[in-house]
Amino acid sequence: MGRKILTVDDSKTIRMIVTRAFKDFDIDMHEAENGVEGLAVASRENPDLIILDYTMPIMDGFEMLTKLKSDPDLKSIPVIMLSAEAGRENVMKIAKQGVRDYLIKPFKEDLIVERVGRIIDLKPKGETNEKAKRYDDPLKILVVDDKPAIVDQIAAGLDDTPWKVEGTSSTGLAMDHCFKHIPDSILISVSLPENGAFTLFQMLRAGNRTKSIPVFALSVKTAAEEQARAQQVGFTGIVTKPIDFEEVKVKITRALNLDTSYKYFTQKDGMLIMKLPSNFTPSISNDIMLHLRNQVTSAVDSGLDKLIIDMSQIKTADITLIKLGLSSLQLSNELALKSSIIGSAAVSHECKNYEETKDWRFVATYADALAALGVSQTAAAA
Amino acid sequence: MIDDVEELLKAAVHEVFNTMLGLPIQMEEQYVPVQSDEPSIAGAVGFIGDLTGVVYVYAPLTLAKAMTAKLAGMELDEIDEDEITNDSIGELTNMIVGHFKSRLSDRGNSCVTTIPSIVRGTNFCIEPISTAVRRVFSFRSGDNQLVAEVMLKQEENSN
Repeated sequence: MGRKILTVDDSKTIRMIVTRAFKDFDIDMHEAENGVEGLAVASRENPDLIILDYTMPIMDGFEMLTKLKSDPDLKSIPVIMLSAEAGRENVMKIAKQGVRDYLIKPFKEDLIVERVGRIIDLKPKGETNEKAKRYDDPLKILVVDDKPAIVDQIAAGLDDTPWKVEGTSSTGLAMDHCFKHIPDSILISVSLPENGAFTLFQMLRAGNRTKSIPVFALSVKTAAEEQARAQQVGFTGIVTKPIDFEEVKVKITRALNLDTSYKYFTQKDGMLIMKLPSNFTPSISNDIMLHLRNQVTSAVDSGLDKLIIDMSQIKTADITLIKLGLSSLQLSNELALKSSIIGSAAVSHECKNYEETKDWRFVATYADALAALGVSQTAAAA
Repeated sequence: MIDDVEELLKAAVHEVFNTMLGLPIQMEEQYVPVQSDEPSIAGAVGFIGDLTGVVYVYAPLTLAKAMTAKLAGMELDEIDEDEITNDSIGELTNMIVGHFKSRLSDRGNSCVTTIPSIVRGTNFCIEPISTAVRRVFSFRSGDNQLVAEVMLKQEENSN
């Protein structure tokens, strides 16, 4: 799956220039002409990066950025700000809001590609036939921290994944390690002595084999200056201590563009089944949404015409569930699929209280879903 | 400060033409108005703060379309809508004024800019109110004249 970039600018010409800059890369471009529209598109598409103009009518870039950073689902999306004003005061104001980079207009197209390439992996078109890594692949995660306890803590925190966590304590040992076993992702403590983290980062980015590895800075939550410096030099992201391991998994998944679709989508009995897990959260919903259109269109291309939305593991209906259900059913209607929803009596009852979902028809079991779709058990078994 | 206007505006126009358009542009010794029936487009961006003013950048339609084609990566005959030309001239004016205003700000005169606006017409002129200082600069790109006009009012408590 290619990367998604959202360009937000009131100038149609600038949006054309930005889109054109990435024409040779496998990038899915989205556009918005002001901050209000930008927020809506960002919520819907969950882009890998946003290129955001500073001066716009209706809602300017600064306000949109503030709203992005206060939204838990959107705050981790890296932002490059575009501005026609290069004054020191303006640049400081932008930098304090946590943008990953900024560009002053006028700019050359090569420059925007280079700056974006520092943040997300840009693959040329036609080179994406290489099989995407999956979340359940045995990825190699390297942790560079002079405190062994931190390495152990991270290994323990990720032990519910098949990922292998290894640790080194210095810049030199880390480079030796990378030479022998190229890791899939690296976490570097910014408190390594003698600026070690930043030296190591520069060395990684200079190496042909290591320049594209996502590298995260490990930092205590309050070390704002170190975090700002890490963002400025181009670290893929920041992981703050105390470590939220669910967030780490999301960050690594996004940085490596790991395929997680298998967790939620299967094709069985000539149908596409989307099964929501019992630990359904807004983050998981976003993950499912990322794959939804591809999975459904791929199913249709394969000749399937039925969708089962399996909510049987869900105990209660909330706004996140409803939004996902609505998006799925809308897409299903667009592509003329017949659909059926499996869910508990409790969820069915809750959905009747909402205008948008009061007409949803739930069935209790998979067999009932087959019957609702006019598929006989025998035909399914065949 | 007012004396720096020519140097800063010239630098801004050159920077934008070189970086975004790849078109040659030269400042002329003197501004000589050209009477023509060809329609023109003027982009305007204001700024307000320690320095208050507005910059107009205007070009005949021929040059405006050539600038649009370069900026948008289109062929001249593909530009058949006013919208894209207006947008391009507005954005180029935004960049010129942004560059110009940034240098003024770095010299201690902080201000903010407005979003661009566009005026189209034939044989029009824009005149300042009496308290504004006006500077007009003429540039040449190929056979066409580009005019950049600055109207400035300096606030009493600025440098």
